[in-house]
Amino acid sequence: MLLIAGTVPVNNMPLTTGEVEADGEFLIINGRRIPCAQGTGAMVSAALATTKYLGLEPPQVLLSGDTGKGKGSRDIYEYLIKNVGELSPAVLALHYCLPDMALTGRLCEAVAKCEKRPVMIADAGSMYAAKAAGMAPEFDIFTPDASEIAFLADPDATHPAYIARHLFDTDAADIPQLILSAYKLKGAARLLLVKGVTDYVVRDGDITETIIEPNVPVLEAIGGTGDTITGMVAAFACAELEPHEAAIIAARANRMAGNYAEPTPATRVSDIIRQLPTVYRDHLCQWSGVCYIEGGRP
Amino acid sequence: MPLLKKRKPSSEGGGLVLFMDVGDAMRAEKVLKVAGYSVKLVAPPPELRRGCDLAVAINLVEQPGIERALREKETPYVQIAPLKPGTSALLEIVKKTDFGDWTMVKAGNMKLTFEKSSGVIVNTSGGGCPDIPYLHAELVGKRLDQALRTRDTGFTLCALMLDRALEESLNFWQGDI
Repeated sequence: MLLIAGTVPVNNMPLTTGEVEADGEFLIINGRRIPCAQGTGAMVSAALATTKYLGLEPPQVLLSGDTGKGKGSRDIYEYLIKNVGELSPAVLALHYCLPDMALTGRLCEAVAKCEKRPVMIADAGSMYAAKAAGMAPEFDIFTPDASEIAFLADPDATHPAYIARHLFDTDAADIPQLILSAYKLKGAARLLLVKGVTDYVVRDGDITETIIEPNVPVLEAIGGTGDTITGMVAAFACAELEPHEAAIIAARANRMAGNYAEPTPATRVSDIIRQLPTVYRDHLCQWSGVCYIEGGRP
Repeated sequence: MPLLKKRKPSSEGGGLVLFMDVGDAMRAEKVLKVAGYSVKLVAPPPELRRGCDLAVAINLVEQPGIERALREKETPYVQIAPLKPGTSALLEIVKKTDFGDWTMVKAGNMKLTFEKSSGVIVNTSGGGCPDIPYLHAELVGKRLDQALRTRDTGFTLCALMLDRALEESLNFWQGDI
């Protein structure tokens, strides 16, 4: 089971868990409508598009309303700390949350006690907290962008707003150096997918793959296009692909979906996600070596 | 569907509010607790000591919301500082990318893109704090000079970086028109 946990920008939405389904521009969970927009909504939508195409069960989600005060974030972590053993997800993907180092440490302790340890993925605020708490090596996959890899490479920063200027100024060509620093300082998960002009897939400090095509620069401006990558990585990892392969396919699919959407900087992320079934139909067989007929029959 | 009982959150968060006198520190702790923040009184390390021997430990990510709460209750403080020695100052620099009819401005981990001709915000991206998706929905479609400042409406360092991007975007756009 894939379990995605994160906050959504819905005031007063209590902690909610269940199976998710798509309804046009929205996600539906227990009768609640969540916008498919930047953040956890985009991540879940991309994961759902992927599991649907592969014929897998949809992601289970653990969502809570939080517009910045942190209560919804803390509810998510407390619930996971208490229940992760019983939930026993195959993949646990943590997303937009107020970074809380102590709660992250307690969650890692709870995960370590699980009978079967889930594949642990973190992005966004959950990734910030994991790095700041010194727990990054406990995670299997991080999906940082260029500024976030600088944060992971800064030994002192507890948030990307406090990274050293020389790291923020780093040229795209120097990303491999930041990657090396992040591993050296134990600021990285076992596998990194660094999103940018060039996407880097890194396993235990070694850059094993770079993805540069198709190049769609405006994707950087579109809120949620990094979240979609994380959602796809999580879904492919749940389909029992190796994290390394899941990351490569997700990076390729995201670029291709962007290319298919012919975006401008004003494009919505939902327009990109809508392309995923076509992208998979056209390319997944070639990329993965595992070929599916849409609907799930191999 | 509420799923759990309320539990006191942690205050281990990498930041300190520093004060000139003990009374201000104690008042600030009370103000912040009432506002819903998880904080506690601690002794600051010698290198961060500014006036008194008491500081309030905070989650540094919540800096903008905490500053606003203290301002609103007229509670004086000297500064908010990262607890970890060696931490750099808040990022001040921004980067600009030209996308033809649009400009993207990047501050830290946050990016804001506006249409050059109209000044309308067409997208925001980046970040990872829970106020960012909310602020994205609030900003997109607004003209730069009519958008609410995210330093006033957000609560986190991501919101503060987004505000820097918004401010610089406004400067660029008003310089161009």
